Amino acid sequence: MAPEANIQVTLWGVRGSIPVADPAVFRHGGNTPCVALRLSDGARVVLDAGSGIRALGDTLAGTREPLHILLSHLHLDHIQGLLFFKPLFDADREITIWGPPAGDGSLRDRLSRYLSAPLSPIEMRELPARVSYRTCPPGTWRLGPALVEAALVNHRGPTFGYRISEGRAAVCYLPDHEPALGQSLETSEAEWISGYALARRASVLIHDGQYTDSEYQAHLGWGHSAVSDALLFARRAEARRVILFHHDPAHSDDDLDGLCDEARDRWSALGGDANSVEIAAEQRELSVEP
Amino acid sequence: MTGSNQPLELILARNLMSSLAIPSFLVDNAGMLVFYNAAAGELLGKRFEEIGRRSLAEWSADHAPFEQDGREIPTEDLPFTIAVRESRPVHRRFQLRADGGPPMEIESSAVPLAGASGCQGAIVVFWPVSGA
Ligand SMILES: [Zn+2]
Ligand SMILES: [Zn+2]
Repeated sequence: MAPEANIQVTLWGVRGSIPVADPAVFRHGGNTPCVALRLSDGARVVLDAGSGIRALGDTLAGTREPLHILLSHLHLDHIQGLLFFKPLFDADREITIWGPPAGDGSLRDRLSRYLSAPLSPIEMRELPARVSYRTCPPGTWRLGPALVEAALVNHRGPTFGYRISEGRAAVCYLPDHEPALGQSLETSEAEWISGYALARRASVLIHDGQYTDSEYQAHLGWGHSAVSDALLFARRAEARRVILFHHDPAHSDDDLDGLCDEARDRWSALGGDANSVEIAAEQRELSVEP
Repeated sequence: MTGSNQPLELILARNLMSSLAIPSFLVDNAGMLVFYNAAAGELLGKRFEEIGRRSLAEWSADHAPFEQDGREIPTEDLPFTIAVRESRPVHRRFQLRADGGPPMEIESSAVPLAGASGCQGAIVVFWPVSGA
């Protein structure tokens, strides 16, 4: 009998923009984006390769499942951990790195701008693992037991959001996303809201919540969301659980606790269950059931 | 299943056009007029919200675009259509009628919205030629 389809989610990096090594953020964590999904067949899907991917790599020593790294985009905070991901130094390992298309070269060429001299001590061709680089195809495709859907979303530069689903369990990942730019999330038709189809009725929505509402006013167009917009988006999409992600480097644990209270109040006011909103914290694990 | 989304290029274009005061139209790659802004609504006599999306053929039937010499311009020769079909900018001067009004002359510029995965549609800007 086929195993019950579910997805195990572990957050390895939840901070946006730049890693933070200040004791004031240790509870939520200072590593930049990396989320690991374990599918029902044991395969790993890694969302982004921020500095959080280093610790994930340490847990994979001796494992042999296929590894897929899905990059949302190539901003440094989402790729800076690649060179410190141990499986890339394992010659027996097969790794596929997926990412968004762009007009200025293949995914491999674009990544090599960072992973080459003088910025890096190691060139991509020196990585021992068998690595392939693939631009995500449009629409939905199959990755082992899961369906993956990628779509361009509103950020700066070509940026994908992802939806990974197995059966009725669906995880939507929109780490850098500003759907409210230039429009009302309350009144726009759903099909005109960036990321909507990916997030629609997701079991878990991991969404950009970088700014407080007042901070957002000074950052319009920077590609990130105010917490209240993230929640409005989640509500429009009828996401069942919301994890606010990509914390501003300046937000301490105490700040994030305050933001969590506000977010829960706001989610309740929007008609949701306060307990289904949380602020992302490193090492958080959850099981997404069908 | 998930719902459907317009391509990001169209979403961004629509958001931009919504904040422009110059009459602007948005067509998708299937030749549907999917949005026009308030300034375009004012120019042509009906707000987008009253009409909703429609094909360019229907739009042509309503506004009957024609050349200086009076010849009708077929839908496939409109800047909207050419910009999407050939993925290139198109500029053209022609005449059309607003809702039941007299003919007016306009300059139009169409810009294809060609993203990494191909042409998703076009933005078309209209400029009424004064004194025409
Ligand atoms: Zn980021
Ligand atoms: Zn970014």
